[in-house]
Amino acid sequence: MTALRLHRKLDPIWASDPGFRGWFTTVNNNDIGKIFLMTATAFFVIGGILAMLIRAQLATPESAFMGPAVYNQVFTMHGTIMMFLFAIPFFEALTVYLLPGMLGTRDLAFPRLSSYGFWCYFIGSSTMVVALVLGVAPQGGWFMYPPLSSTIGSPGIPADIWLLGISFVEVSAISAAVEVVVTVLRYRAAGMSLDKMPIFAWYMLVVAVMILTAFPPMILGSLLLELERAFGMPFFQVDSGGDALLWQHLFWLFGHPEVYIIFLPAAGAVSTILPVMARTTLLGYGWVVAAAVSLAVLSFGLWVHHMYTTGIPHMGLAFFSAASTLVAVPVGVQIFGWIGTLWKGRPQMHLPMLWIMGFFVTFVIGGLTGVMIAVVPFDWQVHDTHFIVAHLHYVLVGGFVFPMIAAIYYWLPVFSGRKRFFRMGETAFWLAVPGFHVTFLAVHWAGLLGQRRRTDSYDPGQGWEVINLIASIGSFVMAIGFALVIVDVAINALIASRGRRNPWGAGTLEWATALPSPSYNIASIPVVDSRYPMHTDPDLPNRIARGEGFLGEPIRNRRETLAVSTARGDPLQVVVFPQNSVVPFVMAVVTSVIFIAPIFKLYWLMFVAAFGVMVLSMRWVWVLGSRHDEGALDAGRGVSLPSASEVADPPGWWGSLFLLLADAVLFGSALFGYAFLWTVAPNWPPPAYLQPGVAGPALALGGAALALAGPRLAERRLRGGDTPYAGLVLGAAGLGALMAACVMVMRALPDPSAHAYDATVWVLSGYVLFHAGLAAIMAGFVMARGRAGFLSPRRFGELRVVRLWADYAVLTGLIALAAIYLPGLGT
Amino acid sequence: MTEILRLSVPMTVWIAAFSAVYGLQGLLCAGAFGAVEPGTQRGLLILAGAVAVAVQVALLMALRAPRFASPSRFVQRVSVILAVVALISTVWTLLPVVASSVCL
Repeated sequence: MTALRLHRKLDPIWASDPGFRGWFTTVNNNDIGKIFLMTATAFFVIGGILAMLIRAQLATPESAFMGPAVYNQVFTMHGTIMMFLFAIPFFEALTVYLLPGMLGTRDLAFPRLSSYGFWCYFIGSSTMVVALVLGVAPQGGWFMYPPLSSTIGSPGIPADIWLLGISFVEVSAISAAVEVVVTVLRYRAAGMSLDKMPIFAWYMLVVAVMILTAFPPMILGSLLLELERAFGMPFFQVDSGGDALLWQHLFWLFGHPEVYIIFLPAAGAVSTILPVMARTTLLGYGWVVAAAVSLAVLSFGLWVHHMYTTGIPHMGLAFFSAASTLVAVPVGVQIFGWIGTLWKGRPQMHLPMLWIMGFFVTFVIGGLTGVMIAVVPFDWQVHDTHFIVAHLHYVLVGGFVFPMIAAIYYWLPVFSGRKRFFRMGETAFWLAVPGFHVTFLAVHWAGLLGQRRRTDSYDPGQGWEVINLIASIGSFVMAIGFALVIVDVAINALIASRGRRNPWGAGTLEWATALPSPSYNIASIPVVDSRYPMHTDPDLPNRIARGEGFLGEPIRNRRETLAVSTARGDPLQVVVFPQNSVVPFVMAVVTSVIFIAPIFKLYWLMFVAAFGVMVLSMRWVWVLGSRHDEGALDAGRGVSLPSASEVADPPGWWGSLFLLLADAVLFGSALFGYAFLWTVAPNWPPPAYLQPGVAGPALALGGAALALAGPRLAERRLRGGDTPYAGLVLGAAGLGALMAACVMVMRALPDPSAHAYDATVWVLSGYVLFHAGLAAIMAGFVMARGRAGFLSPRRFGELRVVRLWADYAVLTGLIALAAIYLPGLGT
Repeated sequence: MTEILRLSVPMTVWIAAFSAVYGLQGLLCAGAFGAVEPGTQRGLLILAGAVAVAVQVALLMALRAPRFASPSRFVQRVSVILAVVALISTVWTLLPVVASSVCL
């Protein structure tokens, strides 16, 4: 088949809906990636404008430009926007766009989830910016420490907007992370074993797992603080058994890995771009992978280094100081890997390379000041000064923004299909990078001289005036540089002339298709035998375009791609993707009500919206699968594979597995909070512990046994040609018993605002109640699917998904109820 | 998934051990086990640190052993590198149990 004929067959199958409607119904990664990128850039602009307001305020002493109330909102929203609404969404957007092409597949694992995640982000972020415009933005700083963020320190709705808004935006991050993990592990070109994966995919796999494990403590902390603010459940109030330090632990359990969550995608981009610019391959691929994994995990052992001044014993400080210095080693391994790559190659100073050089200089300085503040006595001196502000900007701007600009220039032909014509990028570099250093070297200096962060003005005569003026002038020069980058990218993307395929001579697969990437990303799924297939097999793009890879002939006229084995990349299944749909957009809108209604104390509306999300979720899943057995499908190249709906581990099972990983971390964080309050909070023990009695534990144990057995029985019966309903009913009954045990606990402690113990027990019981209820609903839903013909002895994967959720509900239920019952047994 | 687990286990064991020893130190200093002599506190922490190091050594040896070898040379090599990193991390980050005051 000719390439053009194949394109004409594939494009109608994969194309988005035309016109305005298409904006809301598209599930295509190219569309969503671009909208996501533009939205994140818009938030970068908003955050940048707030930064300029801050520097305008600090340019002179006793400035009357902003009062403290406005200044507090401005610096809080600057930090919040840059961390949550720009940095994370920006690299997610880049990943959504690039990953399928790089991996040689046709879309991300769950296309509708991409759309849902984007709309959650868009609505949540916009809500927060609207709050800023209306003057009701939060004022407690981007890490919102209680008691400043509690109702006494922050009355009214601003803190609620932050807590609920950020939690909502994080739905998007978790969605994207689940997608990325499953895509990297299962949706690749044939033969792309783990050692042949593009290095960017490795980095994104690591980052996605980090998101799944770092964000839940923060989500939990936000929910606990909101419960305290709304219902008086005193998790952070010392006089009722709470402890404000619990928030700091939960926040920084997220907050420190967050820094590396932001840095590692940039490092992935550098590891991809730099070898191309140096016309060679990455030195020490395996070492770089090991360094990325090490860095990711080590970053979870650093959280207390943000809490050195909270009175933690010396040994605790020493643990975290040691871990904080250690983290420099894997960073160093990566940097030496990049230097070695330059050394062995023949570097060319194209524009992406220029920005990477800016990254090198800036990030190394930021890393060195990081080692300085890892040392406890030095940190005590500079804690909460502008030195810290300067350090974090060196790391985040140097370690993220500069490499992301390099990435945008490097992949601009993939996004736009055009070659760069206008040359503002170089001018922008020479404004932004020196401007940055003028600004933040000066800010370091002000910090060393004792200037505190988050103060809206300072008195003259302290020696800070000239430094601040220089910093402010530098910041405006930097801002002009960044504005020029945006203008340059926009006009080059819109009106520059069309370019050729693979202009940089890169080796990875995103350059193997026509540019910009077509709706189906890749015309046929190639077989690769090296890490740089475009180098080792120059004719590969032509063969892909002619449909000589897998699924090269769209004989079934539907959206299909290949799922492969995790380690070796062997073809395993044919996955059928869903069509364009407005459901993700509608569900994001309804989900937003769950988060926005409590701001206005409209709890009934929140429950209505939750019911709406449940109904929409069922609608979402209903269209998946098949009502008849398809058997082995022709996948091309003489290979037949089963459909993903006729295997034991369908995509939904993999997605559930990694979603439950995040869920388990949230549950573990709740248990940590319980243990922390128990051992550290001053007003413990509570007046009385719950007495478990016999009925509650018996109900829980009996229910757990039924909930474990039911789904297994259902699967066995279905696979044996029988109906699965008895097993599902049994499982649902068991889950109901587990829920009843939780209700008994809540009834025994009727006032969750009495003490932090009561509040914690309610949270743990509520968690189990929710998960057991969810698994029971899933069991009922699968029964309905079975009656509609979606189940058969070959199509039993959905039962495995239900079993996974039921097992999880039982496991966490038994642990939570044991943690609740045991103290009462000892009294 | 076995290959991914092989790569993720060493550092996961490090973070688990690191958190556990930090937690133990917190419990000891909070008096969760009653009044424990400072010498006993340090002894318990050193014991916990030694167990963590022993687990990492065992893990390293297991990952190097032919019985548990990965069919992929890449995964085998990277998992051993990560096991060495995890062992060094365990020794370095738990060193304070022998050098620093426990609850001051």
